[in-house]
Amino acid sequence: MKRVLSFGVAIAVVGSLVACGGSEGDSSGGDAASTVAPEQTSAPVTDAPPVVEGTDDGVLQVPDEYATIQEAVDAAVPGDLILVGEGVYNEAVQVTTNDIVIRGVDRNKVVLDGEFELDNGFRVVAANGVAIENMTAQNFTKNGFFWTGSTGYRGSYLTAWRNGDYGIYAFDSVGGLIENSYAAGSPDAGFYIGQCYPCDAVIRNVVSEHNGLGYSGTNSGGSLVIVDSIFRFNRAGIVPNSGSYELCYPQRSTTIVGNLVYSNNQPDTPAIDVAILAMGNGILSAGGVANTIERNRVWDHDKTGIGLVPFLEEDANDVIPPREEWSDSCDVSKSKAPTVPTEPLLWDSIDNVVRDNVLEDNRRADIAVASAGSDLWTLGNCFSGNQHATSAPLALESIAACGAEVSSDDDWLSGDLNVITWLVDVETAPPSVDYREAPLPEQPTDLENMPDAATAPAVPASPTPPVVDVAGVVVPDRPS
Amino acid sequence: MRAAFSGLAFLGLALLMACSGDGVGHDVPSHGTIDRASVQGLPSGRHEGPQGRVGQFVAECAFSHSAPDDPIVHPGRPGMSHLHDFFGSRAVSASSTAEDLLDSETTCDLSADTASYWAPAVMLDGRQITPVSMTAYYRAALDVDPSSVVAFPVGLAMIGGDQAAIEPQSLDVVGWSCGGSSSRHVDPPTCSAEATLRLDVTFPDCWDGERLDSAGHRRHVHYSFEGTCPSSHPVPMPQLTVSVNYPLFGDVERLRLASGSPRTAHADFLNAWDPVRLETEVALCIRGGVVCGISDGRVDD
Repeated sequence: MKRVLSFGVAIAVVGSLVACGGSEGDSSGGDAASTVAPEQTSAPVTDAPPVVEGTDDGVLQVPDEYATIQEAVDAAVPGDLILVGEGVYNEAVQVTTNDIVIRGVDRNKVVLDGEFELDNGFRVVAANGVAIENMTAQNFTKNGFFWTGSTGYRGSYLTAWRNGDYGIYAFDSVGGLIENSYAAGSPDAGFYIGQCYPCDAVIRNVVSEHNGLGYSGTNSGGSLVIVDSIFRFNRAGIVPNSGSYELCYPQRSTTIVGNLVYSNNQPDTPAIDVAILAMGNGILSAGGVANTIERNRVWDHDKTGIGLVPFLEEDANDVIPPREEWSDSCDVSKSKAPTVPTEPLLWDSIDNVVRDNVLEDNRRADIAVASAGSDLWTLGNCFSGNQHATSAPLALESIAACGAEVSSDDDWLSGDLNVITWLVDVETAPPSVDYREAPLPEQPTDLENMPDAATAPAVPASPTPPVVDVAGVVVPDRPS
Repeated sequence: MRAAFSGLAFLGLALLMACSGDGVGHDVPSHGTIDRASVQGLPSGRHEGPQGRVGQFVAECAFSHSAPDDPIVHPGRPGMSHLHDFFGSRAVSASSTAEDLLDSETTCDLSADTASYWAPAVMLDGRQITPVSMTAYYRAALDVDPSSVVAFPVGLAMIGGDQAAIEPQSLDVVGWSCGGSSSRHVDPPTCSAEATLRLDVTFPDCWDGERLDSAGHRRHVHYSFEGTCPSSHPVPMPQLTVSVNYPLFGDVERLRLASGSPRTAHADFLNAWDPVRLETEVALCIRGGVVCGISDGRVDD
């Protein structure tokens, strides 16, 4: 999510702030763990190079042939596989070569450790087709695994543990697959895909827990699917958001389907301010547009199970683009000169579809829609077929049914959600805990390995992620 | 109070003019004031709007300490300066050279950033306000060809802004803002609790290619104008903009700087980045035009 805020520490000076419209939580990220049945990642095996010992076989062995991962990466050419042996590597690896695969032989025993000094476990900078597989990155001041400016990226069977910004982070990149992975202990999001439209990306079969946000995606969407994953024990679960502090706003067209989202009220995580603001919500669209939220199972949240709320941006850097520009690609919208506004922006959640989810014990409301000034019936959000006990407003599924006309004459006020009170709640919310010291469950040592890691051929990341059969996804069972 | 601050600023200016740091320095002007614009030029604009429109890298640095030291303006003379807030290397003192800082402990989230950054301390009603953090943005200046930008040499010393200013400074050099907004103000604005007060200072981005410092500490560097460095300072460097984040919102009309009024805002930079990593960042992120990081203004300390 990345926000500049510092509540909590702020010192009120006389005559201070004018209250303005309230808003809402924000992004977040989730994490992946392969505690769930993993899917085979890859790919047709046709002309991949065979894995053979040697020096000129397209397989670069660390530490046998290269002492460090970085040395192997620097020596690699497109198509190569860097195979990393068991051990702890105090490295921050930069990748700038296209179409290479970097793989650990054992996800739980190949560990990059930043020791709270190094910034990113892997930073892939404008390199296309880079796949990182089957290893752990922990204790980095920024991110465990980070792609930026890349076309085609893949993270499979990764573990991100106690990193200072995000666990697994794709920014300004398109064509991605993040799968069978796990992230815990980051103040921002365990998993993040941001600043892309269309993103052409899939997050599947991941576990994100004990982060500020399970998933965050600022200004991302368009062929972006989050599926078959678990978001639990974060401050807030899945939190896509809009904002003009990064490019390609608004956030739009993310499909969130078939996930288990539960108990995201965790008070002792590291947390950026937005995670504190969004705390206690399962799936929260914060100024998101045209998202599809279907067939998720969402329970045990202090606030909402699935909430569509506004995002207040006090320090905006551009005005909200008109609706006719929402279909513009990121490349097009990036090229437009900004108009820095002098007033705060209010990004409403608009045109979202919430259907057929199963919700229980979300204490403020199982499903909710809110604004901070706009009339709710003008926002185009719809709710149908959700198993729920509570909603805000009270009659939400009857007055905002999908495919039906809405009417301003309906009762949109009874039981409506006042998100401005969330800004007040922040004052008494449990503060962020330093990510270096936050309590976490025992670090897992048995997360599922990539099959045949030592011998499987190298398959660089495809710029076209697998097609998810969204219609075929069912509500997952509650874990026993 | 005001007179005392002005006097201090004047003293500072006099000392600055008298100083001959690093063996450079016989080009001190003989007249009473330094006309910053004639020495360094003024930028023709600045980056506004969301981050990420051009390639950049970012360091987020926690507050280190406050001290009446200034290793650029008063080298080797502890206690001679107005009070500064320091960020970056924790090893810095009045007598530090860049070599002293290399490999030192740093408050920045990039351990390779062992440079030192400092700005005058902020006072409110006589109380010193401890800043939260400082963000350093490195990118090509507006309209400068990113592919032409080269890394700063180790030991390069720079000052952005004018501690003796009385009139408003150019907003393209110095301004006050709220949160992540790129809208700058001459005087500290009324910010909200969600977007607190920041001081933004943009440093010169053209180098003469020879000197690490100069008398007055300004003549070796210059601002680009409309994307071009002057022939006297032909080497385009990353444009460094620092934003110091204060835990302040609401009415800050009575805010003062250790250097005087809020209009005397300025900041100093002594480059002691690990030179290999700095070159990597400049090559990959600035010349390569990649957004290698986005500031979230948050530092875990």
